[in-house]
Amino acid sequence: MTPLPATDALKPMSPIQARQTREFIDGLASEARPYWDMVEIGDELSRDLHLSAELVILYADGVEDFNPWYEGWRMNSWHVEGQSPFGQAIVPPLLVSHFVLSVQFDATRPFSIGSIHTFHDSEILEPILVGTTVRITTRAVEKFEKRGRRYVRHAVEVTDVEDNRVYFRETRDILSL
Amino acid sequence: MDGSGASLPQDIAITIDTPVGYRLQSLRKKAAIQLMGSRLWGRFNPNHWDPVYAAATGLKAPIQTGEMSSAYIAEMCVNHFGAAFFKGARVVCKYVASTYADEIISTHGLVREKTPKGAGFRFIVDVWAENEAGEKKTAGWVEVDVGV
Repeated sequence: MTPLPATDALKPMSPIQARQTREFIDGLASEARPYWDMVEIGDELSRDLHLSAELVILYADGVEDFNPWYEGWRMNSWHVEGQSPFGQAIVPPLLVSHFVLSVQFDATRPFSIGSIHTFHDSEILEPILVGTTVRITTRAVEKFEKRGRRYVRHAVEVTDVEDNRVYFRETRDILSL
Repeated sequence: MDGSGASLPQDIAITIDTPVGYRLQSLRKKAAIQLMGSRLWGRFNPNHWDPVYAAATGLKAPIQTGEMSSAYIAEMCVNHFGAAFFKGARVVCKYVASTYADEIISTHGLVREKTPKGAGFRFIVDVWAENEAGEKKTAGWVEVDVGV
């Protein structure tokens, strides 16, 4: 059997950082259940998300996208209206797709460790201005097995909490342990 | 795009005159473990950021969350389509292979089809992300209205 790599194999860590990492992961694993077992077809979940300027910057930095259209926050000036072809700063096109994860994985239950996102078919219907609060609604529409692997499919809709305008729709698959 | 405060590059904008077969300009990104382990992605799936957990589940290294390569592809598309990518666009991506920590990923796009629509066209562009060995990691297509 191949020996496991060290916790600091990919980035430098002191012994205390490595220990804290292992303790954190052990805590996650002890509460986890397979996603397949946690979802029934027809399950619908919905949460509201405020797309603050800081959240948008966090996302844009995480994918190293420095397009100025997404800047509703800048160092030194802090909150700014920003500029884009739609007036003020807007949200990156697939940002809300990422946060679907926080809805379809029921935040009130243990996280299903080890699941992997495998597919998405997304419709970007309207630009979302930075500062908007959106409602993300997910509905489990299918559970299927393919080549010995188990998948859960969700249909997603992202709307404006104030006027119900639809910004985004998506079909997405999660591979479950 | 790269460089805070810069404008979108106008010289690569896709217009109604852009032909089928046009290649979008690639982006290159590194699957940096520090970014993969950001709290942005939740940190609740150690397969994305911990080499020990990843190895125990049979992976040769932590794997990037698929949303990262989709975001890279979207960035490439915004560079070319600009505002049009935010109204009535479609993005279909399948994560066909894992992107491992430290791999260098490049994005690609090739205009496959343009269908007349209104005063313009609906473009269909095959998109993919691959590593330096040319192994595809993410593959799909986007549809965008131009000049409609």
